[in-house]
Amino acid sequence: MTAHPFRDRAAIVGVGATPYSKDSGVSTLTLALRAITAALADAGLALTDVDGVACHRVGDSAPASIVAESLGVPDLHFFSDQFGGGSTSHAVVGAAATAVVTGQAECVVCWRAVNARSEFRMGGTGRPPPDQLEFQYQVPYGYATPPQQFAMVAREYMNTYGATADDFGAVAIAQRWYAQRNERALMRAPLTMEDYLASRWIVEPLRLYDCCLETDAAVAVVVTTTERARHLVHRPVTVTAAGWGSGHTLFSNRRPDLGTSGSAAASRRLWSQAGLGPADVDVAELYDAFTPLVLIGLEDYGFCAKGEAGAFVRSGGTGVAGALPVNTHGGHLSEGYVHGLNHLAEAVHQLRGDCGERQVAGAEVALSTGQGGYVMGATSALVLKRD
Amino acid sequence: MGESTPPLPHPDRDSRPWWDLLAGHELRLQRCATCGAWRWPPRAICNRCASFEFTWAPLSGRGTVASWIVNHHAFSAEFPSPYAVVLVRLAEQDDCKLIGSFAGAIESLRPGLEVRAAFEDVAAGATLLTWEPASAE
Repeated sequence: MTAHPFRDRAAIVGVGATPYSKDSGVSTLTLALRAITAALADAGLALTDVDGVACHRVGDSAPASIVAESLGVPDLHFFSDQFGGGSTSHAVVGAAATAVVTGQAECVVCWRAVNARSEFRMGGTGRPPPDQLEFQYQVPYGYATPPQQFAMVAREYMNTYGATADDFGAVAIAQRWYAQRNERALMRAPLTMEDYLASRWIVEPLRLYDCCLETDAAVAVVVTTTERARHLVHRPVTVTAAGWGSGHTLFSNRRPDLGTSGSAAASRRLWSQAGLGPADVDVAELYDAFTPLVLIGLEDYGFCAKGEAGAFVRSGGTGVAGALPVNTHGGHLSEGYVHGLNHLAEAVHQLRGDCGERQVAGAEVALSTGQGGYVMGATSALVLKRD
Repeated sequence: MGESTPPLPHPDRDSRPWWDLLAGHELRLQRCATCGAWRWPPRAICNRCASFEFTWAPLSGRGTVASWIVNHHAFSAEFPSPYAVVLVRLAEQDDCKLIGSFAGAIESLRPGLEVRAAFEDVAAGATLLTWEPASAE
């Protein structure tokens, strides 16, 4: 069998980020420029090397073309300015990798820049944007913000597979352990099950510690060909597979229930493209806007059978010495919420072996995922490998 | 809080009939004229058989609760907490789901609870769907 033509032909060569805060004090454009220049410096590349730009946003951040203009990119060979939140995060980098593999561009910067705490919080309650078609059906019922939408997912997941509050709490606690060993993380105090269960309801069945941290920050990565990557600063991290898939809107017909995400179907294609399976993965960064998404992700990417992820997490399976370390930066729950790009950044750092106390020993293969496709109706993920 | 009213529906060209029917206290849903599948939210095409032909057919108003949320955090003053929102599978077709507020006791919510639709007028010409336990005759 010949290898998939996409496999390992693009690489991530630079990673950059701004500090994470509750108020950056600057525009999303400025955040993007800071993270991108940091990522280029990390790669040992110059602004003049950039010929492609790619980002995702939901009407809450500077357009890709304006970022390119601001950077002084003289001749843009490729751009991708995608509508979407976390579902789209890995599709942005997948598109950039596709561009460099097919020769449309040679060096693409990808980023997410948000003032998600101080300026544009996700899901207001005012008039829905015209391109979010289904929002209009929710807003009049007081059902519009992400915790409300994902509480609906969480409850059906509990109904269908028997997950409990202890399962959700175990996710939050496991990730906090990593955040305590990550200087960038916003939440570094110890967290116990007692603390978790005592935390206030946001939207039942989600408590405070089930929810991610709305954050002001930007994260950027630089994508180029693997061939070129081998002559740059860091040992390359190759894009072994990039996956796109269908998801659920909150009302989708033809889907069994909200307890299974779009990733269940998309992951089969992803593993096939990678020539790898769940057992080959050393570290997984699973999109975690809310704790139940980690459990659903563990199941739908094939690490656990349906309904068994809670027990896996409670037994320490996702810890640094567990069978599958998960969200080793603390995730959106404890590091900060940069809509999937910080997961990708952590995956690259793990494969480079940069992670100090939270480093997964001998990490060679990583899975990094966007949101499983709820609300948006689409999902994306990447499999990465140390070259 | 007494003065604040919840955000009203903002219909688009696909959803206008749905909201207008609700305002007239008529519970009708798009039904494919070719294969008979029910669908919501409103769309021009059937995603089972690709037919553009449909009717707005009357629903029984009966269904079962698939999932629900109970809001505690005060996201906005228009919605005093706690309140529930339910996701209901329609008796007519298991994979066709509607949302709405819940008119019963929050503690009574459980998977598979049988509910029936009712209308809740929130402003002149604006009506929402609410679901009440079917046992509350």
